Amino acid sequence: MTLLLPDILLVVLAALVMGYDLYKGNNSDSSLPFHLSWVGLCGIFVLLFCLPYDQTVLYLGGYQVSGTTILFKQVFILSTLFAVLLSRPYFTPGGSQRGVLKYQGEFLFILLLCTFGMFTVVSARDLLTLFIGMELSTIPLYILSGFYKNDDLSVEASTKYIIMGSASTGLLLFGYSFLYGAAGSLTFEAVAQVCMANPQEPLLKLGMLFILAAIGFKLTLFPFHMWAPDVYDGSPNPVTAFISVSSKAVAIAFLLSLIYGPLAAMHNFLEPIFLVLAAITMTVGNLGALKQTRLRRFMAYSSIAQAGYIAMALLGDAGTARSAIIFYLFVYAAGNYSIFFILSIIGRNGRENRSELQGLGKSNPMLAAILMLSAFSLAGIPPLAGFMGKFFLFAAAAEKGYYFMVFFAALNSTISLYYYLLLVKEAYIVQPANEPAPLVIDGMQRVSLLVLTAIMLVAGIWPSFSNGVLAVAG
Amino acid sequence: MSLSHYIALSLILCGIGLFGMLTRRNLLGIMLSVEVILNGANINFAAFAHFKAADPVAGAIFPIFVMAVSACEIAVALAIILSMYRHRKRLDVYRLEKLNG
Repeated sequence: MTLLLPDILLVVLAALVMGYDLYKGNNSDSSLPFHLSWVGLCGIFVLLFCLPYDQTVLYLGGYQVSGTTILFKQVFILSTLFAVLLSRPYFTPGGSQRGVLKYQGEFLFILLLCTFGMFTVVSARDLLTLFIGMELSTIPLYILSGFYKNDDLSVEASTKYIIMGSASTGLLLFGYSFLYGAAGSLTFEAVAQVCMANPQEPLLKLGMLFILAAIGFKLTLFPFHMWAPDVYDGSPNPVTAFISVSSKAVAIAFLLSLIYGPLAAMHNFLEPIFLVLAAITMTVGNLGALKQTRLRRFMAYSSIAQAGYIAMALLGDAGTARSAIIFYLFVYAAGNYSIFFILSIIGRNGRENRSELQGLGKSNPMLAAILMLSAFSLAGIPPLAGFMGKFFLFAAAAEKGYYFMVFFAALNSTISLYYYLLLVKEAYIVQPANEPAPLVIDGMQRVSLLVLTAIMLVAGIWPSFSNGVLAVAG
Repeated sequence: MSLSHYIALSLILCGIGLFGMLTRRNLLGIMLSVEVILNGANINFAAFAHFKAADPVAGAIFPIFVMAVSACEIAVALAIILSMYRHRKRLDVYRLEKLNG
């Protein structure tokens, strides 16, 4: 039962937050739900850290806990924790130029339940549980992206998101139904048996194609990435950060658990598909990011490109792919969140455009340095964690002999370096036209940024962190 | 009626739904098309459960879960569409053009 404790505590935490909100009446200005959430999330993270990684237990309802799921849960909790911390200024008057968000209790409740849905996805060993988890982790995001109820752009983003998302749910269901048709049962073992016996089974292939199309939406793979820039641009900043990290992580966790679990035998059939999707996705993302000046849109394209790199690792063997992807998710989460924290700081009194970064190197050297470190980490410059992460991803593809693909990805990485450097150039070299207003950084943002920077540096330099991930998931 | 008839029906429904999503201009029409896709998948589950499955109960239960979940999804969608309507006074998807670039 200890292994289930984090999941149970997460639901209890969500219930407490919502219960307090209902008890106090709506729209109370109390900060208790916020403090409860982040303290609770820290506690759950520590608990996840202390759990044994070498046990695999299958509970009722196809809910399995193993070392890999615990690592994924750490990624999700970390991401939710930073999303909660990031959201705080947006609920306080004067925290953001876009206006004040209301209903903090509900916001946190929805965020926590969404995380529980993600927990369910990584733990599922049954198509029904997988479906419920996937929906529980998707539907809350539609609500969250429209949380600025009076902001035109936020509502538009939410509308676009739900249209795309429900189409992908429909396709996902078709995929499940064909897998069920082939296997005659919903459990992963039954699907695995059929797949082992006959990897050429047309129903399985059809089902997998439907599932890939559906999950392409969530992972922003090439033909299905069109929604991402609009939704990222319109949503509230903490929600954008959460979507860019957690939603992507859950999609890749979903793919990992399917293609290296029940459908492992048909990996040969899927490899060329992943090859093409990954190559086109990273190119489209990188080329799209070149001309963006609005920073959240820019981050959307950058995260599309990152999805391409991540999808490339799916070419490799189970162990290497899994460990490389989990390690990269930690690194990617740290880099992305620190950029979004910087966005929230400059968005307090200004627009979130690239030109808003001008003169940052003079007026606020620490912030500019952190911006530089996280941009370099996302681009994959050696001493930082992003380099190690990308190295493992590329190694997973190289291991199967896809050297050309690795070369292509390295080329793409170079393009991405150009637009990440644009950020740094804006901060250090371009002189602002008029004197910029001094930035206000509150203590929480400072601490979060320092923690994220520490993660980026430590995970890159100190080898035992990556070795730990490799040992558990590999 | 054999299994392939049902699969053909469900795939046709999927096609109709996708076609509707691409051609409808009204947001409510798009959500209706989504429901058509979901129900196509439900028919698939029921048909596989009836004709083929080793575990027919699972296939019979799945559509019920799908209905419950899609009800939640539609509830959220209607709330979002309502707030969209309050802003734009139109439910035309061609009006969704403020976010671009």
